Amino acid sequence: MNDDYLWDKTGEPDPEIQNLEEILGALRYQPKPLDIPQELPAPRHRRNHFPVLAIAASVLLALIAAGVWLRVRTQGESQPQHASAAPAPVVEEKAPDPVKPANKELATNEPAKKRDLPPLSRHTKHRSPTLARHEREEALAAKEQVMLALRLTSEKLSMVHKKTQSNQIKNQHRVG
Amino acid sequence: MYATADMLLTSPEAHAAEQPQETAVEVVLVRAVLDGDRDGFARLYDLYAPLVHGILLARVPRAEVDDLVQDIFLHAFRKLHTLRDESAFGPWIAMIARNRAVDFYRRSRETVEISDEVRGSDTHDSRAREILELIRSLPEAYRETLILRLVEGMTGPEIAARTGLTAASVRVNLHRGMKMLRERLGFMEGL
Repeated sequence: MNDDYLWDKTGEPDPEIQNLEEILGALRYQPKPLDIPQELPAPRHRRNHFPVLAIAASVLLALIAAGVWLRVRTQGESQPQHASAAPAPVVEEKAPDPVKPANKELATNEPAKKRDLPPLSRHTKHRSPTLARHEREEALAAKEQVMLALRLTSEKLSMVHKKTQSNQIKNQHRVG
Repeated sequence: MYATADMLLTSPEAHAAEQPQETAVEVVLVRAVLDGDRDGFARLYDLYAPLVHGILLARVPRAEVDDLVQDIFLHAFRKLHTLRDESAFGPWIAMIARNRAVDFYRRSRETVEISDEVRGSDTHDSRAREILELIRSLPEAYRETLILRLVEGMTGPEIAARTGLTAASVRVNLHRGMKMLRERLGFMEGL
């Protein structure tokens, strides 16, 4: 049996296979036009929401993580402060820090939560120099951590973006 | 550089030799259809109708094949957006055709089939139907490959590219299927 002819019609033709081709050719597909009803809606690209969702989810996670971290820091600091009414030097966050100098004035009249409300800029001028330096270091460390988290998130997002882009380019190359 | 769909459609021999180009063409056509080009689907139909016809011919009565080919392509048109890999249009529509053949028997179990012999009058045609019945009696993998080769006139590499099977599998199926067919043809001649 001539395998080459059976495989790709090359080589010496096999008479038996040729005979079968001739007989069975009568059953071959006869081209007919495909009638696609006009009312049939054309198929559309399935939109790939994955990159957008991935970016949104990453940003959301980063924000939640930052929020939780700040909250834990704030709570951990405010409780011992309220009990002693003394300016403890363990504050790591910017927002509650400016309140400490005002503590002496307001400790007896205002609840602890109210002390967190005034913005940072109003009270930075009143802090003592030793506390300000320490607090600044803590705040800078905190800021560094948040920035690092955001940088990591940004890197991940750019990786997702690059991956999406490279897939598109690869497909374009294939298309030519 | 890749060939265009028109080049491949006008010269079937050309795309037998250059399978990667055909893959590129089907990708272009699938994307065109998804962008709203209905003519692109007509070209896909021209390219793949023989494949679907052959797959059905291996499974369902010949009289039903033409209508089922149309049904399958209309179904494919509606569901084209679910095709994840545009280069896999051939294997995808081949699978639809196989499933539709199974559905055909599930739905028409109680209907009476008019056998092909009843309709035939031409001797050449009846001989063709006899051989087709012999091929249909072979194991599924062999009959589909043999029909695509002997009836639809595809080469082994074409069958592999369009069905998604490996070239080695197609080659083995063709060789073993042909061997079994020869045996059965010899048995038939001897009667």
